[in-house]
Amino acid sequence: MASNRDWTWFYRLGSPRWFYETTGRWLPWLWTLTLLLLTAGLVWGLGYAPQDAKQGNSFRIIYLHVPVSFLALAGYYLMAIAGAIGLIWKMKLSYMVMKSAAPIGAALTFLALFTGAVWGKPTWGTYWVWDARITSMLILLFLYLGVLALQYAFHSQESGNKASAILALVGTVNIPIIYKSVDWWYTLHQPATIKLTSAPSMHIDMFQPLLMMIIALYCFYALALILFTRAEILQRERKAAWVCELALQADKDSAGEAEE
Amino acid sequence: MKFQFDSFQQMLEMAGHGPYVWTAVLVSLLVMGWLLVRPLQLHRANLKSIARQLRREQRRRGAGEEKQ
Repeated sequence: MASNRDWTWFYRLGSPRWFYETTGRWLPWLWTLTLLLLTAGLVWGLGYAPQDAKQGNSFRIIYLHVPVSFLALAGYYLMAIAGAIGLIWKMKLSYMVMKSAAPIGAALTFLALFTGAVWGKPTWGTYWVWDARITSMLILLFLYLGVLALQYAFHSQESGNKASAILALVGTVNIPIIYKSVDWWYTLHQPATIKLTSAPSMHIDMFQPLLMMIIALYCFYALALILFTRAEILQRERKAAWVCELALQADKDSAGEAEE
Repeated sequence: MKFQFDSFQQMLEMAGHGPYVWTAVLVSLLVMGWLLVRPLQLHRANLKSIARQLRREQRRRGAGEEKQ
């Protein structure tokens, strides 16, 4: 039988204070890494990658479109899992992560749709079609917005958390549909360029900057999620002694700056 | 690895695709920038409002003690 002590890491992970202090130490590194990767990936993709034989330069939009779409989907898993952990173990921090993931996911899904539309015009001749992939991404956007809206729809935080988590979990049914949509309904959107199970269907010189941008977007996502969650922790734990101390310290610091 | 454009002008135009590519880049950077700036604003606003509330409570407690 496992001793109780084996679970301490799990409870510590659920402590908002532990999360706040640990991520505070990571932040400078994460900021640097994210900005470096984003800059390098964009310059590489926009300036140095060879242009596509068929699509010309418009294909460069891939360096934003594919990474933001990846994270829009991965972020949904994260949000749903955070909601499930909150429901099962009643972990406060987990709900805060879930709530923080919603605006980020919504913004990235919007970007996936927007960059797709702008890419569609020169490539397909239209900004929008009710193609299976595009329609299921639009549903994803509404799911994110729904999870966010439910947070504000109840007087009690607890009810809002539960409702959001349940919607997030029910909505996961949409994720495999998005992935498979390009294979099930062969309409306008092209099949996936990158698959885990086979070599990418693009030239290595085009693929390397794309890979860099995907890694950059993962870092960006982690950074944004941490920042939103830290703000949420302050909001929900405002009665906690350590938060009060932090607020008074910040207040003193800003007063000191004003005097100087 | 070779830079694909001969001039800045050419890079802006991207043989006619420039407006699409640069619109996508600009909007993406704006939205992503907002995702980093917004939580920092919330963070600061939360700290301020907590400090304000604490000071208010302190004053009220101080006033209560004087009456006694």
